[in-house]
Amino acid sequence: MTAPAGRRSGRRVLSWLLALALLGVIGFVVLRDIGGQEPEPAALTVVTGVIGSEKEAFFADERVRDAFRAHGLELRIDPAGSRQIATTVRLEGYDFAFPSSSPAADKLLAQHPTPRTYAPFSSPMAVATFGPIVELLTQAGVVAPGSTTFDVHRYLELAAAGTRWDQLPGNTTFPARKDVLLSTTAPCQSNSAAMYLGIASYVANADGVVTDRTVAAQVTPTVQPLFRDQGYLPPTTEVLFEDYLSAGMGRVPMAVVYEAQYLAEALSPDPVLPADARLLYPSPTIFSRHTLVPLTPAGDRVGELLTSDPQLATLAAQHGFRPTDPRAFAAAFRDRGLPEPPALVNVVEPPSFDTLEGMLALLGCTP
Amino acid sequence: MKRIAAALVLVLAAGCAGAESTGPQLDVGPSDAPVTLRVLAGSELLDLEPVLAEAGEATGVRIRLDPVGTLDGAEAVSSGAAEADHDAIWFSSNRYLALQPGAQARLGTATDIMSSPVVLGLRRSVAERLGWVGRPVTWSEIAAAAGARRFTYGMTDPSASNSGFSAVVAVATALVGAGSALTLEQAQSTVPALRDFFAAQTLAAGSSGFLQESFVRRATGADPGGPVDGLINYESVLLGMNAAGTLPEPLELIRPADGVVTAEYPLTVLAAASPEARDAHRRLVEHLRTPAVQRTIAERTHRQPAVPGVLPASSGTAVELPFPAQADVVDALLTSYFDKLRRPSRTIYVLDTSGSMAGDERIGALQRALAGLAGADPSLTGQFRRFRGREQVTLLPFSTTPESPQTFTVAEENPGPDRQRIADAGAALQPGGETAIYDSLEEAYRIAGEQSAADPDRFTSIVLMTDGENTSGADLESFKAFIGSRAVVPVFCVLFGESNVDEMEEVARLTGGRTFDARTAPLAEVFKEIRGYV
Repeated sequence: MTAPAGRRSGRRVLSWLLALALLGVIGFVVLRDIGGQEPEPAALTVVTGVIGSEKEAFFADERVRDAFRAHGLELRIDPAGSRQIATTVRLEGYDFAFPSSSPAADKLLAQHPTPRTYAPFSSPMAVATFGPIVELLTQAGVVAPGSTTFDVHRYLELAAAGTRWDQLPGNTTFPARKDVLLSTTAPCQSNSAAMYLGIASYVANADGVVTDRTVAAQVTPTVQPLFRDQGYLPPTTEVLFEDYLSAGMGRVPMAVVYEAQYLAEALSPDPVLPADARLLYPSPTIFSRHTLVPLTPAGDRVGELLTSDPQLATLAAQHGFRPTDPRAFAAAFRDRGLPEPPALVNVVEPPSFDTLEGMLALLGCTP
Repeated sequence: MKRIAAALVLVLAAGCAGAESTGPQLDVGPSDAPVTLRVLAGSELLDLEPVLAEAGEATGVRIRLDPVGTLDGAEAVSSGAAEADHDAIWFSSNRYLALQPGAQARLGTATDIMSSPVVLGLRRSVAERLGWVGRPVTWSEIAAAAGARRFTYGMTDPSASNSGFSAVVAVATALVGAGSALTLEQAQSTVPALRDFFAAQTLAAGSSGFLQESFVRRATGADPGGPVDGLINYESVLLGMNAAGTLPEPLELIRPADGVVTAEYPLTVLAAASPEARDAHRRLVEHLRTPAVQRTIAERTHRQPAVPGVLPASSGTAVELPFPAQADVVDALLTSYFDKLRRPSRTIYVLDTSGSMAGDERIGALQRALAGLAGADPSLTGQFRRFRGREQVTLLPFSTTPESPQTFTVAEENPGPDRQRIADAGAALQPGGETAIYDSLEEAYRIAGEQSAADPDRFTSIVLMTDGENTSGADLESFKAFIGSRAVVPVFCVLFGESNVDEMEEVARLTGGRTFDARTAPLAEVFKEIRGYV
């Protein structure tokens, strides 16, 4: 099999940069040894951003950093929860904020008006699970045989009945005395749980996006137990996904994550997905639209590059995100000889930031 | 230029702001490092010393760990006291902490470093006798065997240490829970299975280290009382005890099939930390999560790596029990454990009221310490270390001779009035006379013997508080002769004023107790700490 083109070109850039760096070092040593003064380092503009933590790996990737350096930008990144970014993080000193959802970005925009925002890539909410769980869910009618579709209506029925795994008929593979519940993060802190709240409230509201407080209050009794009955919830989707990867089925039988987290693992040179790992798509699902809100001209430049630079789009796809240009996404899988993830049909919009905040308040979250 | 070698200093911590320290501090990393990361930590993390010394060198960060108990740590973080002199916290879990009002906002990035579930370790012969080797065992089976007294075990006090705390949550969730996190009503439950389970606990401890040492000393016969059959602790601790080879027979690990509670050790920077400290935290976390370091941690400490793919994935389907996410649920669970479920305590307080105890900083401090245990201390730890429902408390003041004892039994429902009576008895103590330590200890033993004969099923211990040398009656040698022939009750000695440290340590050693130092920490804090052991 041939090496993937995207990775190869990435490597080529990398070796160039390594060569340049090496030349720089040699030059420095030579100059220093003959008593000359230190050479001027290439003038890079330092740009600081606060981002949703699920994009940390992307921004930490040396290839991504190099792509920005090629445009004269040196990125400094602080991770934070998207809700924190929109509400509590102090933004002075940052050049851009990059939360993981459009509602959080809308909220930011209201406080920091800017002519343009950028949505360079998105990722649907998905369910990371295991082969035996998929079989059980199929028997329980939550997953259609042979499909990757997770029926949220049917799931909410099971959850409302307080069904435990060991009560599912014919379950010999995972007879846990534990409720059939999707594992999530803490909705008060984490965007992925808030998006899941968006999905569950849509279904609980007879397939309609919740738009006001009255309806929010009506659906609360249905959605609250989905979080409360799980008990303590991890603060970030990174932690949840890592638990899924390392602790296995007993700890996290099925987890609400970003599709990108799972795909990034599948696309990585040495994936550590469990042998029987499976990815399902809730129906309906919500796309988490990672939206960059520039706070300074330098931040605006980052948004522009993420949206227009094909190399960055390729890298985003290799990190499992769906770039605006679908070809980059398709190529990432073709290059690795993997099937391209399905195009999703049953996609709904998340509630507005204020409605979401209202629902979170009803769940006991404080701003 | 060569780096100065790592300085490794173990000093006795004199207690840190807002939280009582539970042991020696760890201080590693380059001594010329520009930044020191000051970490409030669980005491069991001291076993990472070599890993952290190396991490300090690799990252250029000096690392200081101040060990502290779970609840003390939670209290220090939520009150804001922790951030005055610490940059980060590192406990076995943030779950309890995150429930405290205001605590979440004080926490920055938290990254899991390693994990270990809380499980039951049983002497192999006992596990074989119970038929628990090589097959799945549930908490219900364990509770049934415990109720029938087919085995005994030790665990730490859940208000002092996370392993005991996790055990209480796991047992209650498995035995009472319906498959989801405990509700308030379930947390208040006193179903027979829960009482059965806790009835078999015969060894209590305020720290994980003391529990292990006691267990080993009992197993090897160094302490009186015969071996205890099992221990509830982190899997990593039990595996470490087996690997150390100090036990006469290895422990069989019982990982209950219906679920465990796992510690995941998040290294968490405090929101108030300086940018330099935050950067140091980030570098340290990155280093500790590199595959090589993760493997070293797994090999040295028997904890599981947090980073996926470092070790072959466990094929196991060990179920993780849901951990309640509401503070009132957890508080109700702990309250019912202490006041209703655990084996009740019998504690005899042998209290020096000799002439040297005069003054507010002596007798006054003692009276305040007793009042604190009687309910005057509103803190989180104070709440769970008060005199408990069903507890039998005897005050035995002494000076030239032991005075007449006063015994109180705290009511299970509405314990307030009984607690108040104990505080009132404390307030009535008057200093004067000589110091008859050993006559009074012998008297305490006689009282314990009579009380145990009438009501055997209690944890029985003696707390000795004296501020000076023995000046009257029997001496240490005759006490030794007295002890020789008796079933031993542990004596927990409080070092105070001009205590004879050597003699007090000898008394503690002879009886399987330990000493507590109230010369450097407030007497009330020390009295509270002892509650974890009785």
